[in-house]
Amino acid sequence: MDDLYKEIIIDRYQNPQNRGVVEGGVEAFEVNILCGDKLKITAKIQDGIMEDVKFEGGGCAISMASVDMLLDKIKGKKIDDIKKIKGSEIEEMLGVELTSVRKKCAYLGLEVVRKIVNLDKK
Amino acid sequence: MKKIFPIYQKHSKLAYLDSAATALKPKSVIDAVCDYYSFYSANIHRGIYEISEEATKKYEEARDVVAKFIGAKSNEIVFTRGTTESINLVACGWGEINIKQGDEIILTVMEHHSNLLPWQILAKKTGAKLKYLGLKNGQLDLTELKNILTSKTKLVALTQISNVLGMENPIKELATQVKNYNSDIKILVDGAQAVAHIKVDVKDLGVDFYAFSGHKLYGPTGIGVLWARSEILDKMEPLNYGGGMIKEVSLYDSILADGVDKFEGGTPPIAEVIALAEAVKFVENLGFDFISDREEKLMSYLIEQISNIPNLKIVGQGSSLMTFVIEGVHTHDVAEILNRYGVCVRSGHHCAMPLHEILGVEATTRVSLGIYNDKDDIDNLIKGLKEVGKIFKVKLPI
Ligand SMILES: Cc1ncc(COP(=O)(O)O)c(C=O)c1O
Repeated sequence: MDDLYKEIIIDRYQNPQNRGVVEGGVEAFEVNILCGDKLKITAKIQDGIMEDVKFEGGGCAISMASVDMLLDKIKGKKIDDIKKIKGSEIEEMLGVELTSVRKKCAYLGLEVVRKIVNLDKK
Repeated sequence: MKKIFPIYQKHSKLAYLDSAATALKPKSVIDAVCDYYSFYSANIHRGIYEISEEATKKYEEARDVVAKFIGAKSNEIVFTRGTTESINLVACGWGEINIKQGDEIILTVMEHHSNLLPWQILAKKTGAKLKYLGLKNGQLDLTELKNILTSKTKLVALTQISNVLGMENPIKELATQVKNYNSDIKILVDGAQAVAHIKVDVKDLGVDFYAFSGHKLYGPTGIGVLWARSEILDKMEPLNYGGGMIKEVSLYDSILADGVDKFEGGTPPIAEVIALAEAVKFVENLGFDFISDREEKLMSYLIEQISNIPNLKIVGQGSSLMTFVIEGVHTHDVAEILNRYGVCVRSGHHCAMPLHEILGVEATTRVSLGIYNDKDDIDNLIKGLKEVGKIFKVKLPI
């Protein structure tokens, strides 16, 4: 609990690697009503591969660091594999244990990513 | 003061600074709930036996206590589940009868969702129009009022104290202007954030409806009050039909009870009503001079201390609550780190999304005071805020 704000999380929050917009890509949006986090992800998907993906939005350190790291993880991956990512993997990725309230923040990115990969289906 | 709030026995280090969300409960209020369930837990207005009579008597006495507290008569006090239900009762029970297509309802941009959604829904149902009073220099802009009042205006609904900005709105002045324009226009006041901090006299305010919740007044959850003059109540419809609110029932028709009983269908929250009266007595015994003196002094101390926190910007401030943002740190993270110091604050949009939009901030952190708070609580808050700065490496502006 006490290392929730680990260096890496603060660093990712303050210096995100995957902020921006993928022009002409698909997009999905979600909010976390509890704290007003807003997240939009745009992506370019080709031949079942996540070619490029970026995010825009505002929120707490946990939600923003989490999505930033998640996008690293899924870039260049097969859509089928991305669909299999579980919530618990987010916690592993962040390397912290989350309370149920903070899970909502941390999983926001995954929620939007799931929307994106399901858009691809159509 | 903390001694009479049992929660501190379990959490001796608690720095509870979220009284605007709900206030802690003094022992006398908790005892009142316990006593009802322990010693006379009978239904009211029914049994011809002793404990039922005792419960009925205490329930109706509670109405008298609450009435006196806000300068009203007992036959004008309707018990509801809280501010939200009180406002919905007006929107449905009065609004649906009196608001027609093309009519106008005036609100302010600082309203809590509870004093916004009922009117949005009513406007959609009836084809009425919503109009808004805005802000000027962080205060309600009353000068706009004369420009938006029209012959179509039927209702003005606004909060007495903002749960985000903290300031007290000039209700009396507004009421005078509105009634001078057209005395048929009704005025509803959301008193949720006011009743625990300032003396309220509904007659003196010159308004028509007043709504508040028990739980922000050191009382129980699940109980609130709607005040309206009896002439208005007589012509309103209830939210709930059923037992306890009728005079006569036959298979195809019924006659509703007179007065406020009409609005209290079903078995009410008896313990909560009785304990609400206990909460009112608690506040009255302290007295509003004492309460505001204490809260104002503590607020000055808070403002003085918090001004030293780097990159902290105060968004709103009244005598019992203030909201702020720290640049570069999300309010959720602020609240989380403060929690490690036993400090409870509210983070988010405080059920006032439109206001946050207008203020241009996504979310804020709110510190609100209750009668139990002291300098230790503020000191803990400041300690926590310094830690926030450390963790997020917030730099002093150059
Ligand atoms: C100004 C204002 N109005 C209405 C409410 C709603 O009160 P309740 O949730 O008790 O119905 C609140 C409480 O958050 C409030 O601060």
